[in-house]
Amino acid sequence: MNPTASQSSIVSITNVTKDYTLGKVVVPALRGVDLEVHAGEFISIAGPSGSGKTTLLNLIGCVDTATGGVVRVAGQDTKQLTERQLTNLRLNTIGFIFQSFNLVQVLSVFQNVEFPLLLQRKLDKAQRRERVMQLLEQVGLANHAKHRPNELSGGQRQRVAVARALVTRPQLVLADEPTANLDSVTGQNIIDLMKELNQKEGTTFIFSTHDAKVMSHANAVVRLADGKFLDRISAAEASRAMAAGDH
Amino acid sequence: MGQLRLLLQVAFRNLFSSKINLLIGGIIFFGTLLVVVGGALMDSMDSAMSRSIIGSVAGHIQVYSDESKDPLALYGSMSGEPDLAALDDFSQLRPFLEKHPNVKTVVPLGTSGAIVTSGNTVDMTLSNLRALYKKRDEAGETPELRESIDSVKGHVRQMVELMADQTARSEQELGGAQKEPAEVEALARARTDAFWDTFEEAPYSALELLENRIAPQIPDGDMLELRYAGTDLDAFQRTFDRMEIVDGQPVPTGQRGMLLSKFFYEEFLKMKSALRLDHIKQERDLNQKTIATDPDLQRWVKENQTQTREIIFQLDPVKTRKMVERLQKLLGSQEPALDKLLTQFFTTDDANFDTRYAQFYSELAPLLELYRLRMGDVLTITAFTRTGYMQSVNVKVYGTYQFKGLEKSAMAGALSLMDLMSFRDLYGYLTADKKAELAEIQKQSGLETLSRDEAEEALFGEASDNELVAEATSSDVDDQAAFTGDQGALTRENLLQRVYTQQEIEQGVALSAAVMLKDPELLEQTMVELRQAAKDAGLKLRVVSWQEAAGIIGQFVLLGKLVLYFAVFIIFVVALVIINNAMMMATMQRVREVGTMRAIGAQRSFILGMVLVETLVLGLVFGSAGSLVGSGIMALLNSAGIPAGNEALYFFFSGPRLFPTLSASNLVAAFVIVLGVSAISTLYPAFLATRVSPLQAMQTDE
Repeated sequence: MNPTASQSSIVSITNVTKDYTLGKVVVPALRGVDLEVHAGEFISIAGPSGSGKTTLLNLIGCVDTATGGVVRVAGQDTKQLTERQLTNLRLNTIGFIFQSFNLVQVLSVFQNVEFPLLLQRKLDKAQRRERVMQLLEQVGLANHAKHRPNELSGGQRQRVAVARALVTRPQLVLADEPTANLDSVTGQNIIDLMKELNQKEGTTFIFSTHDAKVMSHANAVVRLADGKFLDRISAAEASRAMAAGDH
Repeated sequence: MGQLRLLLQVAFRNLFSSKINLLIGGIIFFGTLLVVVGGALMDSMDSAMSRSIIGSVAGHIQVYSDESKDPLALYGSMSGEPDLAALDDFSQLRPFLEKHPNVKTVVPLGTSGAIVTSGNTVDMTLSNLRALYKKRDEAGETPELRESIDSVKGHVRQMVELMADQTARSEQELGGAQKEPAEVEALARARTDAFWDTFEEAPYSALELLENRIAPQIPDGDMLELRYAGTDLDAFQRTFDRMEIVDGQPVPTGQRGMLLSKFFYEEFLKMKSALRLDHIKQERDLNQKTIATDPDLQRWVKENQTQTREIIFQLDPVKTRKMVERLQKLLGSQEPALDKLLTQFFTTDDANFDTRYAQFYSELAPLLELYRLRMGDVLTITAFTRTGYMQSVNVKVYGTYQFKGLEKSAMAGALSLMDLMSFRDLYGYLTADKKAELAEIQKQSGLETLSRDEAEEALFGEASDNELVAEATSSDVDDQAAFTGDQGALTRENLLQRVYTQQEIEQGVALSAAVMLKDPELLEQTMVELRQAAKDAGLKLRVVSWQEAAGIIGQFVLLGKLVLYFAVFIIFVVALVIINNAMMMATMQRVREVGTMRAIGAQRSFILGMVLVETLVLGLVFGSAGSLVGSGIMALLNSAGIPAGNEALYFFFSGPRLFPTLSASNLVAAFVIVLGVSAISTLYPAFLATRVSPLQAMQTDE
């Protein structure tokens, strides 16, 4: 791996393995995966259930550590970082979009989006307000700022989650099955929104999905099978392959 | 700031979001309520009781000899009077104690108990008659005096008849003669016309027959246990300003004399019929009892109906006639017999009680002696001295006293007050007077020298043969001219008149000293300093607080407090466990939320802060609610007062009602305890919350 390539890559994964221990049985989730993601990419991770998509995203998202191999996020080897540093890395560099939205129920839409900024303690109140409103504008929820999450539809909630993920201007946004809990039209809208932000802000997106339609928006599709890297193909190829696989 | 505001907002909004929080809130609410109300009540009772004890006899501090075998117990202990060593010279102790800047006043005290006989109606009437004859001898006869003498004589004759009547009746009931032949003979003689016809010829010998042979046949007088405190009466009055004279007058400065406790005077020396009426009235008025339902009241009514002799005995023929007339008018009856009329009068129910009560005091009482002892009478007190001999002392009763607010308290009314001189006599220590008397006896008996021990022996030996320890029932005979010439009697006669100087009062034995402080807040410190000073001065003194000095009573409050604190402790231990469990559940419910926060970059410290702030807010909100409701209850109780149901509580309530107050310290204590408990019970759940992995955020709802 040449140094220039690794410099421009936001995520660099080398021969990563991950084992889970279930009782006395060791279950391998990843069996040596390599992956390179460059800044500004819009990448989908695809594969059947149990292929290791979520595990891979968790490793990239620094919420879990690899059993073997090296995971570099924004140039940092996650294995070398302390719990505190990992948390800071998540706070400042990575944004998360969850399958079930994971908004804080007792906080308003505005407060949910503001939450990471409060954790960062970088902006003052006025600046935070401006930034949050800007994001809510972008996701089309500016006039829902004072609503509580349970007053919103699923699509609206996920858009709040997108705004929250992006409010800190992270270099990388991870989304694990972001459309799985949404109907197809709404899911489509969310992907469109992510794509739009990817293009406008240059934020790198990595999302997992097993929906071919969703996949088709990606720059590239990384396919996993049985915890192993299968191939990296274009979205069009992936659609074809999915179609073929389905029959 | 933003973070904290967010945490507070999260905390407040979470307050009512889960039932678990409401459960915890409820516990905190009631916990605070309990601490506030229970604590305030206990404190109020404690301070009321301390006011009772401090203000009645104990003062803030009691000082007594370190050589005492028992601890001081002003209200007596389980095993009777405590065995205390005497403080030999109070006049030296007082300046020593007053040297301390925080000491306001020092009062000498000695508490002890004795037996007195309350005397019976026959005795009183006879002594009355004797006094009249004496007056005649001194001042000559006047028509008024003659009339009085005849009236009293008539009364005595009526009593003798009544006694004979009663004897006959009881012989009938019990079968056979119940009395000594000599007694029967004396009674028969006193009934003869010859006896009364010749009365004027030798009134004193006639009186003697009546006094010595007839009067003792009436088992009317009670032996009463009298607890008294010998003290410097003037200093006592100055120091314990709740003390007030009810009947009579204060003992003149420097004189021997006694102030009976009003409670004692009412309960033991008042005519039983009147006392029972008072009791019924009090129970009806204060405790809303009714004659129809309460067995005690019914019993009193019954006793009043049957026990009319005490009234009948008191009346001379003139008064008997008046009484019959009044009763006939009141009852609209033609019945001529007084006892039947009285029985009818005392047949009361809830409807006519108040009328009868008022009638008794307005119509009947003026014809009666309501008390067996009048102010100014001389009471003979017989007590065991420390060395085990009986010692009697005559003390003039000047008045009765009570402590304001404690009128009905048996405990506050337990002690009658006596001058220190009489106390010392009863206690069996040599006072200056005694020494002089002893010297006199020595001279008379021809003994020249005696060691101190022998002297005491001689004194008490003499005294027990002497009329010094004459039976208490003969008290009224004690000051008789018959004893003229007897050195001892003369001395005693003089003793009652004698005025002692302050120095004489103080130079001598006391059992303890009550110390009143300028600043009661410094009680503990002052005690420590006094102890040190005594040690430095080589004085063997014990310095105790009012609480210790009160003996069992002091322990009682302490016990009450301990019980409350223990209850509070248990409740909070239970609360701790419940809150802990509830918080664990609450945390588990929020695993995904916490995981999400962790995933998007919240540090563990943030999570810890979040959980703690939530509990704190929970504690503050529900704790405040509890305090508020508690304060409300206390305000209500403060304006209404808690009635002291029975008389025993008067002492603890320092009056008939306790008006509890809420102090800031009660609220502060409640808050500290509640917040402490909720914080402690949340520590583990909060720790668990920080261990939640951000991976938990990835869990789906299913």
